[in-house]
Amino acid sequence: MADTAGWRERAEETALLWALVAIVAILSLLPLARLLFEGVAPGGRFSTAALTSVLSSATTWTAARHSIATACGGTVLAVLIGATVAVLVGLTDIRGRNAFVFCFVLPLMIAPQVVALAWLQLFGPSSTLLKMIGLAPAMGSRNPLYSAEGIILLLGVQYAPLVFLTLRAGLRTLPQELLEAGLAAGAKPLTILRTIVLPLMTPPLVAGIALCFVSCLGNFGIPAFLGIPGNYLVLPTLIYQRLAGLGPSVLSEVAVLSCLIGFIAVLGIFLQDLMLRRRDFRITTTSNAMRPFELARWRPAVEIALWILTIIVLVLPLIALLLSSLVPAVGVPLTMQSATWSNYDYVLFDHAAAKRAFVNSFSLSATAAVAIVLVAVPLAYFLVWRRSRLLRLLNLVTEMPYALPGVVLAIAAILLFLKPLPVLGLTLYNTVWIILFGYLARFLVLGLRPVIGGYYQLDRTLEEAAQIAGARLLRRLTTIILPLVAPMAIAGALLVFLTAFNELTVSALLWSSGAETLGVVVFSFQQGGDSTYAAALAMLTVAVTIALMLSTLLTGKPARGVLPWRG
Amino acid sequence: MNYLLRGVWLAAALVSMLAPLSAQAQAPKGKLVLYTSQPERDATQTTTAFKQAYPGIEVEVFRSGTTEVMGKLAAEFAAGAPKADVLLIADAASMEALKKDGRLLAYPEAKVAGLAAGTYDADRTYFGSKLITTGIAVNTAAKSRPASWADLAKPENKGQIAMPSPLYSGAAAIMLGTMTARSDLGWAFFEKLKADEAVAVRGNGAVLTAVASGEKPYGVLVDFMAFNAKAKGSPIDFIFPAEGVPAVTEPVAMLKTTQNPAAARAFIDFILSDEGQKLALSMGYIPARASVGTPSWLPPGTVIKLMPTDIGNVVQNNSANLKRFSELFGN
Amino acid sequence: MARLIVDRVTKTFGAFRALDEVSLDVSDGEFMAILGASGCGKTTLLRQIAGFDKLDGGRIVIGDSVVSTVARHVPPERRRIGIVFQSYALWPHMTVAENVAYGLTVAGVRDPERARRVEAALALVELKGYAARRPSQLSGGQRQRVALARCLVTEPSLVLLDEPLANLDVHLRASMEDEFARFHARTGTTMVYITHDQAEAMALADRIAVMDSGRLLQVATPSQLYREPADATVAAFIGEGIVVPAEVVEVDGRGRCRVDLFGLSVGMRCAPAQRPTPAARACLRAGNLAIVGAGAAGIGARVVRAVYQGGHFRIEAQLDHADGVLVHLTAAEPCRLAPGDAIRLAIDDGWVLPASDESVAVAATPPGVRRRPDDDAAATGADR
Repeated sequence: MADTAGWRERAEETALLWALVAIVAILSLLPLARLLFEGVAPGGRFSTAALTSVLSSATTWTAARHSIATACGGTVLAVLIGATVAVLVGLTDIRGRNAFVFCFVLPLMIAPQVVALAWLQLFGPSSTLLKMIGLAPAMGSRNPLYSAEGIILLLGVQYAPLVFLTLRAGLRTLPQELLEAGLAAGAKPLTILRTIVLPLMTPPLVAGIALCFVSCLGNFGIPAFLGIPGNYLVLPTLIYQRLAGLGPSVLSEVAVLSCLIGFIAVLGIFLQDLMLRRRDFRITTTSNAMRPFELARWRPAVEIALWILTIIVLVLPLIALLLSSLVPAVGVPLTMQSATWSNYDYVLFDHAAAKRAFVNSFSLSATAAVAIVLVAVPLAYFLVWRRSRLLRLLNLVTEMPYALPGVVLAIAAILLFLKPLPVLGLTLYNTVWIILFGYLARFLVLGLRPVIGGYYQLDRTLEEAAQIAGARLLRRLTTIILPLVAPMAIAGALLVFLTAFNELTVSALLWSSGAETLGVVVFSFQQGGDSTYAAALAMLTVAVTIALMLSTLLTGKPARGVLPWRG
Repeated sequence: MNYLLRGVWLAAALVSMLAPLSAQAQAPKGKLVLYTSQPERDATQTTTAFKQAYPGIEVEVFRSGTTEVMGKLAAEFAAGAPKADVLLIADAASMEALKKDGRLLAYPEAKVAGLAAGTYDADRTYFGSKLITTGIAVNTAAKSRPASWADLAKPENKGQIAMPSPLYSGAAAIMLGTMTARSDLGWAFFEKLKADEAVAVRGNGAVLTAVASGEKPYGVLVDFMAFNAKAKGSPIDFIFPAEGVPAVTEPVAMLKTTQNPAAARAFIDFILSDEGQKLALSMGYIPARASVGTPSWLPPGTVIKLMPTDIGNVVQNNSANLKRFSELFGN
Repeated sequence: MARLIVDRVTKTFGAFRALDEVSLDVSDGEFMAILGASGCGKTTLLRQIAGFDKLDGGRIVIGDSVVSTVARHVPPERRRIGIVFQSYALWPHMTVAENVAYGLTVAGVRDPERARRVEAALALVELKGYAARRPSQLSGGQRQRVALARCLVTEPSLVLLDEPLANLDVHLRASMEDEFARFHARTGTTMVYITHDQAEAMALADRIAVMDSGRLLQVATPSQLYREPADATVAAFIGEGIVVPAEVVEVDGRGRCRVDLFGLSVGMRCAPAQRPTPAARACLRAGNLAIVGAGAAGIGARVVRAVYQGGHFRIEAQLDHADGVLVHLTAAEPCRLAPGDAIRLAIDDGWVLPASDESVAVAATPPGVRRRPDDDAAATGADR
């Protein structure tokens, strides 16, 4: 053979690698770099004024401490709930599994601020439910949710489905014989959980934990609702406060604070890397997925507990939302006479932006989900199996746009894309495309982490066999690897779609006439005091998402384990 | 004689032909980009009415909270290519900041006749479009009805008050600056509120929800929100306290970097015109030009006692005030 | 068909030398086994040949092309070889037919040609009718055969097998061994077979390469390996050789010599270049030892264990001399020996291990010649 044998393969791999590097650099590095630039050189002139003033202020460090505290607390709670539910759903013989999973994942689609509002109302003096059972607190009594504990509670509940999704996809690959070996050795189910299942599930679990930590760190809606009234600041709300102030150096201070958030997020990811390095989690057997543990007499109790959890986490807030969407104005008690569809009328028929918002949000979220997964699979390949050093560095950077408050990412996007693109002359500003950029940058990590966890569980000889059969990299990725990491990839795509669908903080600055998103429209209703319209629109969003999720049940029979609530 | 008559006729004909042409040449047209923090519905109504008055102008609107609007503007300034032509935001303090930065374009020919004094900038860079006062909102089931600010801060109302946080709301920041400058209220008033465990929430919308739902029976709230909700049936009432009310004017202004100064001026004209003022009235606001009328929820003959606001002072002391407020209400 | 040349290949992982100047020449159509204990480097060598890792020194040639050097590395996709992995590496999301057809699909072969070849491959491994099944529905032996079929369908010039029978039970192993042997006879593919099981290697291979700690110890036919091990490690590894110190008294220059073994004079085989020396070592096999009566010529020993093995006993005994070297031999049933009994052992043959500076040259087969088991008898003692 000629001396150039193998050049085609090498060229293909190098091209793919550099394309991925470019994509990650543009999506993750560029906004950050632009922000950093604004932080130390506002208006083009170098100055450390913003740096010193921010870092020397006590408020900054208080907010940072609070951020870490709520992020850790929220993550612990989310992992407890999410992992327990994943194990119960994946490894035991409870009934109604699919329905339960469906309901458990649903809260991911409700915007955090809507959740916060619903819970506040639930525990407040005007709560219809509490009034019914006579436990309504006296008017004006302090709502217990306005505290660090309240924030942690809501963060944990909000992100438990995230941990659940990643862990469940991982559990699907756990083969029967590993557990049977444990049972044969005489171990009780709990021991097997502790010594076999959990260690093997470390990759997806760690992926879920890392995602959860960064999500809690960058969450704005919940601390905004629950923390602001008590002036319990976290970094995202501090940034918002700075923006609301009127100083000229606002942007550079915001940039410095954002870098602080990014730094904390990177620390968290670094820890994840450490935990996964040099340990072998590969599962090489190809036997059938698990026959569940049997719960016997515990089963009814467990099922009831799970459904109570669903009711608390999902049904109650939804009911609160529904009730407030049916009254003509805030505070009017809901009776047969006062109930009205006028809010829905307005939102559906009178308000042109709401309809556009549905279409926009749906297409943006779906596009972002698909695009991100298509990037994540080859990206994870190089990260996990090729150990490309350049990509490992970039991997840390992908966390940033997700950890930063959405408003900061939006500002970075504006700074980058206000002027027309060089060479191409296209203007992204004030179009849906800049919002798409924001979503791609922000949610890349949501799609990437689960896929990375999936690769850690994959046996590389499956790819090597394909190599020997003559398949080049792209073909291996599409015919062998993609089908094998599909469960984790779909989990990632779902996460991206659901989170983007209700996204608010990034779109709030980037939207323009014709490019409204659902979160933006709900937000403006709320701000303007039209919380009944906001509730109606939020209910419609939930209804549409439920319909979409249900429609997946009608489509043929995809491979097992692709969708968490199917089989 | 015939020649003269015919000449005059011809001249008149020519003039009458040219006049509409020149009028048309003078009518502003093109694109106008508006950034506003008005509530959604009001923004839509305003732009629709404006488009009817000036059919040649196409309006692009960006609507969000004041913080978001100012953030977007700041980013556009930093990137060197601001897109906005006109701004219509909640409070004059933000406008003052922009004016100080040299971002606003003065409009000396604006028709300010009949506008209450102090509602527009002395240098004619920004003009108040309406009067939004902040008073006391009470839930109809509340135990008492405070008649003054001092009444609100009474110890009996402990744990039952909600107010918009000046840290997140420019309008509330103006309220803070105005009231702390008064001898009968000052910082003592806010210290009493703090002793009453008042909650400072993010924005007036949250206060409305808190008061109307009964979570906090007493609130510091803007007038139109309370009255619009009451009109729809919310169990909420609005009280003008005895000491007076601070007000914000929701000013409109032109940016120096505007691409379409003619259209921008037309917009300001519209807002300040009787037609624009009547529109504000119909949306439930107190118009800046008193002669236009008063909104239906205002009992006829009510005299609103406005607290005077030295906007320059407010802006100057703003960061100090905010810092003190943050320390006072911090955990 | 290809010839495989491994030429002084070295591979290091940090400070650890996994492969140390390994040289091997597999001729066209040969069945070469690479035999060694775990960790000896045989899998590393396989991965080098396959192209999954890059080497740090030396070169590898498959057929006419140099596929691996330090400077140049042909990727596995281009090497046109086949591998049967230890874990079979069947793709769980594809049916058996799709698994087997993959290589053809990649090469652009379409139905009906592709279907025909898949069918033929499945028939070859006697899995006709299993085309629509999934790997999870197959037994270990069936998966093994699918892996083999997948490997063969593209008609590669070289087939590497990585401990393919390790996961199978004894009976299955025997039948699969037959399978491989028949397959090799039928197609004449060059096969390189990695294993730690010497019985397998002996049964299947034309030649065996023994590896230990990253180095090649000896490459020879199974019979040569058994009868003429190159050093003590090979001797002990193959057929449980017993290595004892001995004194070479006289040599005849043609491969026979007289050896003094603890006072016993034994005629043994040796390398033609062997010289008389007091400090030699000899390799004995269980078959070379026999229990004799008290008066016959022999060495004294004490029985340590007598284990029944179905029809005969395995006797382990400790020699009275030589610091109690442990030997073992077979005794027919019935045998009344018990631990502690004193016995006398006669030795009828052995092999004198070459000293390290007179090491036996690695057996090189002239190209083009295929070794058959009955060649070996004639080759014993032949020139090297």
